Amino acid sequence: MITLKNIEKVYRTDTIETLALNNINLEVSKGEFLSIMGPSGCGKSTLLNIMGLLDEPTKGGIQIDNQSITSFADKKLSAFRNQKIGFIFQSYHLINDLSVLDNVELPLLYRPSVSASERRDLATKALEKVGLSNRMKHYPTQLSGGQRQRVAIARAIVGNPSIILADEPTGNLDSNMGNEIMEILENLNKSDGTTIVMVTHDENMAKRTHRLVRLFDGSQVA
Amino acid sequence: MIQHLFKLIWKRRKSNFLIMLEIFVAFIILFAVASLSTYLVRNYNQPSGINIDNVWTVYVNYNSLSDSLNRQNGELLEQKLKTFKEIKAYTFGHETFPYGNSHSQGDVGAKGKPSVNCSFVSIDENAPSVLGLELAQGEWFKNTDTVGRVTPVVITQYMKEKIFGDENPIGQFLGTENRQKVVGVLANFKQFSDFDELSGTLISPFRDAKTSFMARVDPSVSAEFEAQFAKSLRQINKDWNIEILHTSDMKADKNSMYTIPLTIVFIVCGFLIVNVVLGLFGVLFQNIARRRNEIGVRRAMGATQSHILSHFIGEMLVLATFAIGLGLFFAIQFPLLNVFDIENSTYLLGILVAVVVIYSLVIICAWLPSRQASTLHPAIALHEE
Repeated sequence: MITLKNIEKVYRTDTIETLALNNINLEVSKGEFLSIMGPSGCGKSTLLNIMGLLDEPTKGGIQIDNQSITSFADKKLSAFRNQKIGFIFQSYHLINDLSVLDNVELPLLYRPSVSASERRDLATKALEKVGLSNRMKHYPTQLSGGQRQRVAIARAIVGNPSIILADEPTGNLDSNMGNEIMEILENLNKSDGTTIVMVTHDENMAKRTHRLVRLFDGSQVA
Repeated sequence: MIQHLFKLIWKRRKSNFLIMLEIFVAFIILFAVASLSTYLVRNYNQPSGINIDNVWTVYVNYNSLSDSLNRQNGELLEQKLKTFKEIKAYTFGHETFPYGNSHSQGDVGAKGKPSVNCSFVSIDENAPSVLGLELAQGEWFKNTDTVGRVTPVVITQYMKEKIFGDENPIGQFLGTENRQKVVGVLANFKQFSDFDELSGTLISPFRDAKTSFMARVDPSVSAEFEAQFAKSLRQINKDWNIEILHTSDMKADKNSMYTIPLTIVFIVCGFLIVNVVLGLFGVLFQNIARRRNEIGVRRAMGATQSHILSHFIGEMLVLATFAIGLGLFFAIQFPLLNVFDIENSTYLLGILVAVVVIYSLVIICAWLPSRQASTLHPAIALHEE
């Protein structure tokens, strides 16, 4: 499903060069629920951004669904991201000036083939799936942290992507809320067969996934 | 996508209000300046009907209150004028000469017909040869044409249309006592400046003592001749005051009464536009800096660089459309209510110019910040809180 080969990421400034990822080789199978752990600054989010095509590796190659992504131009890359990948962020990244429903519709705005009424239907179904159909007209600032993360999950799944990349989805939530979010992710993985890669600091959450990858100083250690 | 932009703008209506107000004010000012410019340019492009090349306007004051003495002086003056071969033609009249500072006006109409406000010019039969006047209808009066109490007059085409409409005005009478008979119609006659609109002028024969006059001189005459000419007129009588003016300079002075204020208006408007441009730039740059996170989210959700570019330009265009819509509501009242009695097309052209300029400015101002937003790296944008 996702294949990373010899991934290296170097951040350069005028005075300093930082090696964020060093020779990462990783294969994520279809339908797998993988977690990535490691201390802060070890390159977890960088790795997730590279998997999500939000960042480019300095060296190495990425394949998703047997397609090499390295040579994709912006338009093709964006379309690919829109069709195949859903994102969940630790700080939700919802647009506060849009209602819950409009936030969830966002990925579908960039699919010309989806009409306005289809967008509405798909967004409503996604919100029902995360148990927030009664909050559609609300704005993100009117919701609790857990509810916001559920909106973010609905936004990630509305376009029916085969991969979900979650960057510390429970990091800002208490344990109860964190469990709720984890259950939703587990359900998506089990019932829809969605491949999920999750970055987490929480050992308990990581144990609930199929496989754990550990990073340290940009290198894969387990 | 438009609906999406409307939602965002509506939700941010408080923060967008000042931008809208700025665009609205710029639209109104541009509309006013564009309408005024259109009006003046259209007037300027209308032929004046007066040829003032090599024409002098000479004001003569005999410093005498005696009419009989003034008439004698007038004859002496005319005799002297005839001695100069450089003076090709001359015409005496009241001081209401074209581009002069004196003018007289009033309402004139015909029985059973509407009245029109017009200027009065009194000049002798030689005026067409001095001023190159061309008649659209009829003929110019002669000094001998005045019969009894009936005075032959020449009117302008504008006056003819206002009073007589499609009727033939030649031979018809003006005034309540039918004492002015129309003998000719001038196609154009703009006596005040090139920027005045065509108006009503009634020209009647000059029959008083000959004092001031306009003269067409030979194109080859020099400044020395002008000095010699003035000196020789003063030699007739040392009490006479003679003032020789080049009619083209008089016209330039009159035109400058429009061009100078218009230039000032253009400069002020230019400053305003620069301010609006800088304001829009500043607001957009700040707006985009504040919304980097949102840009990152949109890119993560599948927006291309061109989506981001068109999104931010689109937002500004929607805002500009709101402001222009409000401006149009006010601007359209001018042609609807026929304010200032100006042709509707002048206002409509003013509106068109204001709309095109505002949209162009908004696109120019939105382009650079939006381009910057579109090239923002999604991973970096999302990393910033």
